[in-house]
Amino acid sequence: MDKFKDNESWEIIHIPDKLPFPPHQQPTVNVYAAVIDPKHANTIVRKLNKILPLENLRHVKRVRKQHLDGGSTHLSVILCLAGENDSQLDIIPQEVAELIDFYQLKTSITKVCRYAPLSKEEWVEQCKLWPTSFHPPTYNINGITGFSEEESHSVFTFMKLALNLAKSERQMVNAAVIVDPSTNEVIARACDQVYSCSCPINHEVTKTHDNMLLNSSATEEPKLLYDGVSCLNPWGWSNQKSCDSWHPLRHAAIVAIEDSATRDRNLFPGGRHDLADIDHVQPALTYPSSKKQKTKSMHVNDYEELDPHTNDCDPVSSRPYLCTGYDIYLIWEPCAMCAMALVHQRIKRIFYAFSNLKAGALGSVHRLQGEKSLNHHYAVFKVLLPQESLNRGVKTE
Amino acid sequence: MMVSSNLSRRSFGSSRDFDLINHTVLLIIELLRSFTWRHSSTHSRSSLFFVRCVIVMDRKVISCGRNRTNETRNATRHAEIEAIDVLLDQWKEIKLSQAEVSKMFTNCYLYVTCEPCIMCATALSFLGIKEVYYGCANDKFGGCGSILSLHKSDKTSCEEVGGKSYKCTGGIMAEEAVSLFRNFYELGNPNAPKPHRPIQQP
Repeated sequence: MDKFKDNESWEIIHIPDKLPFPPHQQPTVNVYAAVIDPKHANTIVRKLNKILPLENLRHVKRVRKQHLDGGSTHLSVILCLAGENDSQLDIIPQEVAELIDFYQLKTSITKVCRYAPLSKEEWVEQCKLWPTSFHPPTYNINGITGFSEEESHSVFTFMKLALNLAKSERQMVNAAVIVDPSTNEVIARACDQVYSCSCPINHEVTKTHDNMLLNSSATEEPKLLYDGVSCLNPWGWSNQKSCDSWHPLRHAAIVAIEDSATRDRNLFPGGRHDLADIDHVQPALTYPSSKKQKTKSMHVNDYEELDPHTNDCDPVSSRPYLCTGYDIYLIWEPCAMCAMALVHQRIKRIFYAFSNLKAGALGSVHRLQGEKSLNHHYAVFKVLLPQESLNRGVKTE
Repeated sequence: MMVSSNLSRRSFGSSRDFDLINHTVLLIIELLRSFTWRHSSTHSRSSLFFVRCVIVMDRKVISCGRNRTNETRNATRHAEIEAIDVLLDQWKEIKLSQAEVSKMFTNCYLYVTCEPCIMCATALSFLGIKEVYYGCANDKFGGCGSILSLHKSDKTSCEEVGGKSYKCTGGIMAEEAVSLFRNFYELGNPNAPKPHRPIQQP
């Protein structure tokens, strides 16, 4: 069987921003709810939204409509959060309590789901408790909702390229390939350079690597064999023997980023917006005052309207901003240093083949794709190689 | 120049520590101020940099670095990484082995104007640095307590792979650090595809 054509035994799995919960075991919070008279519904909801908007439960609908057996409908409204133990009323805010008194509402404690649903399946389960709203991921990154056959094929091709890179080294290492998915162009490729040797590689080593990779799975990785993979063993650099060149932080992703930056500087010499040139003929700036800034902002609207995406076809202005729009393929899930470097460099999607259970930052130990405070978020996918996806197939059957 | 009041003698172990910090912080601020003034006259945004860090060993500044992300178009070239690379080059030139370099890092103190980001905080742990002191916290990317705490290697996962922790102290001359950043960001970033803030033109 030609495994390079047999795409069916490969699989791409989206690694979500949050650890997914089984749909019927989603965490909940207690809230005070009350049945209301439909005549008062509008007024009550308006008042409640004003005095106590449900800030951390934006996905939860304030009102639930239930159809009763007799054909009549039943409206209930969420009043406020309730404690997790049953100490009634002590935490109902004064204004809500007044509302309860005024409309003579009978309160009861009910459960709603704590987090917004990530999938339609979760949403259906959530609505059984109390209705919520479901918005598919706000960032529009291809692949989160599935890959087309053509896209999958490209993903597998680039992952194979990364695998071949990793195997070409003397010792098993991590490899990184940065790709522009809009053109399928390889922007940069690199291996770990924590210890690089220029010694010749023999074929036996490559063969062993092949077997190692095909037989490895996320759970049972023979430790010794992977000591050279920098993201798996990032503190181990000091125990290694001296080689021609070494650098404790030159993990594959870091080297690939550096290569892509070099390419950028070579292909697009000169600044993006060469303000420096203008600046030299302008009078000196002392400390900027906020008033000054306001008047100046009138001149800079042109910059703000400059949308890089509208200029994609124009070769002169198609200079990338860092790695915006690019994908990276890695054999192993990156460590926190590499994962954050990929945030800084604005990578769009990350594909990796094996989890890094001890130091991985994209789901194993940390989950940077779900850190809301970061200024950039990528989508993360795990690519199951043929052997692994076959095993998986057997297990699930 | 005054040392800000939140740098109190009480927060540090010995007066030797205090002297060390006092001396180094003054030095950093001095470097920053002189640089800021010199370059703001030409107002070339690419050469304005406010994240600056120094590495100290045996009470001597042995390396310093500045953020070079814009000029290199490599967003990983933070001040800490630059300062680390200076040291690695020096030490490799005198043919120190990996083990010797690792030993050297265990005697290094890093001072930086802003809390190291998640990437730098992790890198500093990989190197096994002794201590880190920073000015203001970084509530968006901070890897030494703000978002993640990578200076404390967690027993369950990291220790098996030799994870290293280091002591990290923040809030040193924080007000000065914040005002430096404010001046910097007020200028806007001409390299961003869609700047959040208007770009200042003189």
